[in-house]
Amino acid sequence: MDALTEDKNQGLVERFFIFWDKIGILLVFIVVCVIFGILNPVFFNPLNIINVIRQVSIIGVMAVGMTLVILLGLIDLSVGSIVAFAGIVAAGFQVKWGGSFFLSLVIPLLVGAGIGFFNGYVSTKGGIHPFIVTLGSMSIFRGATLLIAQGKPISGMSPAFRFIGAGMIGPIPFPVILFLGCVIIFGIMLRRTVFGRYIYAIGGNQEAALLSGIMVDRVKILTYTILGTLSGLSALILTSRLNSGELVAGQGYELDVIASVVIGGTSMMGGEGGVYGTLIGALLIGVISNGLNLLGVQPYWQMMVKGTIIILAVLMDRMKRRFRTV
Amino acid sequence: MKKIGLLFIVAILAFSCLFGTLAFAQEYTIGLSFPSLSFAWFAFLEQAVKDKASQLGVNVVSLEANDEVSKQISIIEDMIIKKVNGVLLVPIEVEAVVPGVEALNKANIPVVTVDRRLKEGVPVQVLAHVGADNYTGGKKAAEFIVAELNKKFGEPKGTVIELYGTPGAGPAIDRSSGFQDVMKQYPNITVKTQTANFRRDDGMQVMEDFIMSSPEIDAVFGANDEMILGALEALQASAKFNVQEVVTIGFDALTDALKSISDGILDATIEQFPGKQAATGFEILYNFVKDGKTPEDSVILIEPAVITKDNLDQAEKSF
Amino acid sequence: MDKTFNNGDGILQFENVTKRFPGVLALDSVSFDVLKGEVHALVGENGAGKSTLIKIVTGVYQKTSGSILFQGKLIDYQNPHEALRNGIAAIYQELNLIPALTVAENIFMGHHIRNERGFIDWKKMREEAQKLIDFLEVDVEIDAKVGTLGVAKKQVVEIAKALSLNAQILIMDEPTAALAKKEIETLFRIIKFLKSKGVTIIYISHHLDEIFAISDRVTVLRDGKHVATNNTATLTIDDLIKMMVGRKLVEQFPHMDHQVKDEVLRVENLKRKGVLHNINFSLKKGQIVGIAGMVGSGRTELLRAIYGLDPLDGGKIFVKGDEVNIQSPYDAINLGIALLPEERKTQGLVLLLSVTDNIGLPSLTKISNRGFIDDTKLNHITSEMVQMMNIKTPSFHQKTMFLSGGNQQKVVLGKWFARECDIYLFDEPTRGIDVGAKIEIYHLMNKLIERGAAILMVSSELPEILGMSDQILVMKEGKITGTLTRQNANQEEVLKLAIGGGHLNGRSD
Repeated sequence: MDALTEDKNQGLVERFFIFWDKIGILLVFIVVCVIFGILNPVFFNPLNIINVIRQVSIIGVMAVGMTLVILLGLIDLSVGSIVAFAGIVAAGFQVKWGGSFFLSLVIPLLVGAGIGFFNGYVSTKGGIHPFIVTLGSMSIFRGATLLIAQGKPISGMSPAFRFIGAGMIGPIPFPVILFLGCVIIFGIMLRRTVFGRYIYAIGGNQEAALLSGIMVDRVKILTYTILGTLSGLSALILTSRLNSGELVAGQGYELDVIASVVIGGTSMMGGEGGVYGTLIGALLIGVISNGLNLLGVQPYWQMMVKGTIIILAVLMDRMKRRFRTV
Repeated sequence: MKKIGLLFIVAILAFSCLFGTLAFAQEYTIGLSFPSLSFAWFAFLEQAVKDKASQLGVNVVSLEANDEVSKQISIIEDMIIKKVNGVLLVPIEVEAVVPGVEALNKANIPVVTVDRRLKEGVPVQVLAHVGADNYTGGKKAAEFIVAELNKKFGEPKGTVIELYGTPGAGPAIDRSSGFQDVMKQYPNITVKTQTANFRRDDGMQVMEDFIMSSPEIDAVFGANDEMILGALEALQASAKFNVQEVVTIGFDALTDALKSISDGILDATIEQFPGKQAATGFEILYNFVKDGKTPEDSVILIEPAVITKDNLDQAEKSF
Repeated sequence: MDKTFNNGDGILQFENVTKRFPGVLALDSVSFDVLKGEVHALVGENGAGKSTLIKIVTGVYQKTSGSILFQGKLIDYQNPHEALRNGIAAIYQELNLIPALTVAENIFMGHHIRNERGFIDWKKMREEAQKLIDFLEVDVEIDAKVGTLGVAKKQVVEIAKALSLNAQILIMDEPTAALAKKEIETLFRIIKFLKSKGVTIIYISHHLDEIFAISDRVTVLRDGKHVATNNTATLTIDDLIKMMVGRKLVEQFPHMDHQVKDEVLRVENLKRKGVLHNINFSLKKGQIVGIAGMVGSGRTELLRAIYGLDPLDGGKIFVKGDEVNIQSPYDAINLGIALLPEERKTQGLVLLLSVTDNIGLPSLTKISNRGFIDDTKLNHITSEMVQMMNIKTPSFHQKTMFLSGGNQQKVVLGKWFARECDIYLFDEPTRGIDVGAKIEIYHLMNKLIERGAAILMVSSELPEILGMSDQILVMKEGKITGTLTRQNANQEEVLKLAIGGGHLNGRSD
């Protein structure tokens, strides 16, 4: 075999693995959907499909931001608390403190951005592992939520505000548009912009990135800020959908958010993955919960199924790495 | 950076010392341990106790357990170390919290349980239990639904959704068994049960899925108001069902639920008079601490009531 | 082929061993024998397949086809542990020791000696460890934490560990890479001693002089194929190079004399506590300045300090006459300074990213518009660099982890070539690279000079320093102990300045 034909064949093999890498979880997703569809035809009802995407959009918006953080090889545990805090602020602004409608949209995003910035700044400049920093802010802002709300949910938002979570544009719910919009925007950002390349470079090899003149700390802080802002957006959606700033809002969300990212094939080690995988990961989690609900299965099973899928997803990632050990 | 961190820690320590001393300024200190102040229900209980306490001139220490049994036990241990005079307890789980109560017994600190009663037969001493009758509450909710279905169809029939609370929690079990015991008598009523963890977001999501999977929905029972409020959001958003034609009833008589009733969206909720429970429990504890007076009955159950648009003024809360 | 040794002495026999990775045929039907009790050298350019072959023997990789016989039996180990248990041990460049544990514990890691109750028998273990160390006749304290030892002693610990497992075959991959001359002598003494005890050694090295000093026979691999296996004594260095490269090398150091122009970098009284003391020098356009010195003399630290990686405690840096304040590599690059780090895998490349992404990384801000990368420009730069550097890759989108060492280094060069800097700081530019690729890299350095750049080069290889530099700075213990011109520099002079008052190297042994 001469060098040229060999290269071509290897290209094919290589491409097959790249294809499998990207498409594997999609196949799992399709198989799961088909199974649910057979067991209960309602599953494929367009209304139900929209229903599922709407249900996952709150987790999904955060998962997009979390994808960036995990691509850097970092983690954020505080997203659930940001949702609660920003949500209470959004509700409070409208109902309690008589802020303008516009402010009640902007302030929660700024609050989220601020907490994200705090997480990024303290972990990079203070040299503390983000696991610890965000564990701390998770607790701080859960407490702050209770403090602001004085133990009571805040409800009674204006009809205009309700559009964010409950509105429709044509047949498509507005949160779905927000979620898919985030996926597309950050998908393009990761692929086409300098900032996106920097994220992959830092996640792949922080030292090499630093030596290549990338301001590593800045990229990290900005990424945390983006995740915080997106968590603020999730808070708007959730608060608007529930028509209430809830104290327990977002509790445990960090697990679903991280799970979506990991199931979507983004490596916890950083440097590999992307938001399109996360889209599938989030949908898969949503579909499992929805499908089992439609079948009337008790949630104990749901928890077990979800956990199993997370472990399998990470296992696949490990096997992929083992295969191409160098 | 290190200096700032240090400063931060010092500040926190200083604050906790300050609060620590404030907490012991009065003659008696009663410890409160509730499952989680994130739930409006317990926040209300806490407020009722605090109102009563300031009326009686008693100091109150309240700590957050985040709905975790192990945390609640360590909170109780902390209270023993702080030498509180008595503890007003809402157990997170009715059996798992027993070691904490044991420790209180050993330290000779009286305990009154409110809302959730310790499991029968456990080897610990409780001064009194003041509670709602969750079982009866569940029964009353079921009876309300049966009566409404009777009005609608002329006979008790139809499809009823039951949104179950956090699996394993005492009230979830009692409310559901009260509800189910009534429903069992009506073979023409189909009950579909799914848990929504006492949460509004879960209530909405589970309801959305029921809306998809269920051809008929005639009534919905939420084992707390949070879940029914979430379910109402889902019902209102659906084109398949008209919320006015579905009988809906919650549980707890929270402000938001009462408002929803007054707006004509929610049909009813169950009032358990938590403020009255908590205040009663607190008073029993106070009398014992102060005068050594034991209550006549060691179990005081407050009869729950169905609140509808017609008797909104009976609810403890206003909106 | 030279498959002449087919007698019963073959302890390890390779027959048509083939290994295929996605995108690469790493080993192509390799056959040869290793004889019992010999020192068998394995040579070849980087990417020739030496490491792959070794990793197959020790069970790190599994072969695609072919067979391996060990003591006459077919073997196919699934992991290094299995190979070790059966008597095949390997000592890699990156040592597999646990720094926080003692020498004795490291030697018996994984097979601790236990007493009858199942607890670790510390006394017995220390005794056995001491026996092994005595056996090797080296001075290593068995209770010392491995982290406190120098590389040479760590290697001894690795060897003792292999012996404690009764290794029949000991594989050494570039064992002298980080050793000083005297330490190499000790290592060779140990190797000869082991050989006399019947242990078979497979020895991999880029240093051909070592091959001639220590090996009985030598096998040459090229591009994954077996070229020849010969008795070392029958060969010359030139023969060996010819077999490795497949062509004759004309000149090893293509130094060119350039017109030296304006000063581009000047350093005055640079200080970093305990590391750098009053460093002064200047670098001019068109000049290659070499920095010689032992490991730990502050060479790498000097480059890092200029590049803004480590903070300074004093001194000034001037770039093109202006005093500058460099806080980070970002600042340095904006001033036209590039650093090619010592370790390409851990510092130079993002292995998960493609050739294109790596080459483009420092230049992205230059070829982007409002944050969006101009893909046409990026591809243009990449193809230019791949051609200029002669990078062998199946596609631009190949992840760099799949490239050979020499090609990886060329990608690192390419990314800085593309960034068009004025000052290039090279740290060990040819470490671990085969002869052919080395010369290509020297030519590329010349190209940079022609383009008007200046180069500051740190290297442990004296011939390279002497052959390529216009001026040589010699460092010792954080100070510059001498400045030599190309004309008056020679090996002895540099060594004298680098070693000075009897110290062998920067490490305290």
